[in-house]
Amino acid sequence: MSKVAIDMPPKGGFSFDLCKRNDMLVKNGLKMPSFLKTGTTIVGLIFQDGVILGADTRATEGPIVADKNCEKIHYIAPNIYCCGAGTAADTEAVTDMISSQLTLHRYHTGRESRVVTALSLLKSHLFNYQGHVSAALVLGGVDITGPHLHTIYPHGSTDTLPYATMGSGSLAAMAIFESKYREGLTRDEGVELVAEAIRSGIFNDLGSGSNVDICVLTKGHKEYLRNHETPNPRTYVSEKGYSFSKKTEILLTKITPLVEKIEIIEGGDAMEE
Amino acid sequence: MGDSQYSFSLTTFSPSGKLVQIEHALTAVGSGQTSLGIKASNGVVIATEKKLPSILVDEASVQKIQILTPNIGVVYSGMGPDSRVLVRKSRKQAEQYHRLYKEPIPVTQLVRETAAVMQEFTQSGGVRPFGVSLLVAGFDDKGPQLYQVDPSGSYFSWKASAMGKNVSNAKTFLEKRYTDDMELDDAVHTAILTLKEGFEGQISGKNIEIGIIGADKKFRVLTPSEIEDYLQEVE
Repeated sequence: MSKVAIDMPPKGGFSFDLCKRNDMLVKNGLKMPSFLKTGTTIVGLIFQDGVILGADTRATEGPIVADKNCEKIHYIAPNIYCCGAGTAADTEAVTDMISSQLTLHRYHTGRESRVVTALSLLKSHLFNYQGHVSAALVLGGVDITGPHLHTIYPHGSTDTLPYATMGSGSLAAMAIFESKYREGLTRDEGVELVAEAIRSGIFNDLGSGSNVDICVLTKGHKEYLRNHETPNPRTYVSEKGYSFSKKTEILLTKITPLVEKIEIIEGGDAMEE
Repeated sequence: MGDSQYSFSLTTFSPSGKLVQIEHALTAVGSGQTSLGIKASNGVVIATEKKLPSILVDEASVQKIQILTPNIGVVYSGMGPDSRVLVRKSRKQAEQYHRLYKEPIPVTQLVRETAAVMQEFTQSGGVRPFGVSLLVAGFDDKGPQLYQVDPSGSYFSWKASAMGKNVSNAKTFLEKRYTDDMELDDAVHTAILTLKEGFEGQISGKNIEIGIIGADKKFRVLTPSEIEDYLQEVE
C-alpha cells in the first residue's frame, strides 16, 4: 500500500482549522482565555528638527490594569521608533520582527533604514493577516529624506500626517493637537505639547493611565525619555509597614543569598580534524 | 590514481577515506588571495590582499571584509561569490538568534552554525562544497576570538592564522612574530608586515583591507587613509 503525502506549500496567514472546535468548546462551557490589550493613548508629531512620539504606560486586561508602567514605544531602528496600541503581544511581536528584518536589510545595503521601508514591511504584514493581528501603530523616524510620521491600522492601511493619535484615548489627545499644533515647533514646545496630549488621554480615558513616555528623534540623535512625567504617583504609603496576623506561621527568618557556582569544564570548542 | 575515479561525486568516499571534492575545495582556497587574522590581548585584526583584476575596477566598491554582527566580522580566501552566500546566511542566523534569545550571538555559536551550513553542502545531493575558508573575528563576553572555518565544515580557534596563496610563508612569519601579550596596534603592524612578505608590487591603503575589533566590541573596516597611516608607521 503506497502512502502518498501531498506536500502543501505553506499558505501564510492564519489557519482557521480549529475555529469549529473552539466554538464547540465555548458552547460546552469553556472560558476562552482573554488577552492583554493596551487601551492606549499614543501620539506623534513632527517638529522643526524631527519627530516626537509619546505614549501612556497602562496595559489593561478588561477592567483590570495589568501593567502600570509598560513600554509602548518600541525600537525599530536606531533612527525609527514605533508606538503600539491594541493587543500588547501583537504590537511587540510585529515591531520586533520588522526591527529584525531591518537590521538584516541594513547589513545588506550598508545604509541607514528609511521610515517608508519600515512602513511598507509593517503594512504588508498586517494586510496579510487581514486585521487579525490587532496592532495599531504610530511610526515615526528621521532618515536621509527627512522626518516622517505615519499611522498604521490593523488592517494594513496607512496615513502620513504631521501629527497623529491612536488608541482609545486618541480623541482626547487629538483635541489637544487640533487646538495647539502649529508648524515649526521647537523641541521643548513639541515635548510639552505631546506630554499635554498624553496627559489628556491619561485623565479622560479609562483605558489609558499612569505615566507619560516620550521619544524625541532628530537627525542622527535620539532621546528616549522613559517616564518623562509621572502624574499618577502612589500618594498613600503606610509608614507602619505591613503586619501579619498572629496566626501567620513564620517558617524562615534567615535569608540566604544565592551564590553563583562556577564550574570549569575541561576541553574547549576547537574541533579535531 | 584510484582516487580520481571517486572525485566526481561529492557524496562518495574515496578508498583512502577522503572526500576528494573537499580536497579540491581546499585547493581552490589555496589559490585564493592571502588573508590572515591575529588575536591580540585586547582585540582581533583580520586583513586581506585586495588585488583587483584590472586597474579599471572601481576599488572603492569592492569590500572583502564583511561585518556579520556589530561585534563580529569575517574575511575569506577563495571564491568571492561563495563567501557572499555564507555571509548572508550567517547574518540571518545571528539575527534569528538575537530575536529568540534577546542577546547578541556568541562568536562560537555563530561559527558553529556557519560551519554547519558548510557541512550541509558536503553531504547533500546535487550541490558542491563552498570554495572558501573564512576567518571569523569577534569580541564577546569571552574576550577576543579568531576562528577559521574550512569548506569541510571544520572550524578551529586560532591565535593567529593565514589562508590562501602564501599560507606557509605567512604562517611561519606569524609563528615567529606572535606574542601572547600583543596589543591591537602591534597586531595590525604584524598583519601588515605579514601581508607585505608575499605581496607582489607596491603595498598601499588601496590594495589591502584591514578589519579590527577592539575592547569597544565594535567591528569596523579601516578606511584606506587609516591603512596608509599604519603603513607609514611600519616603514
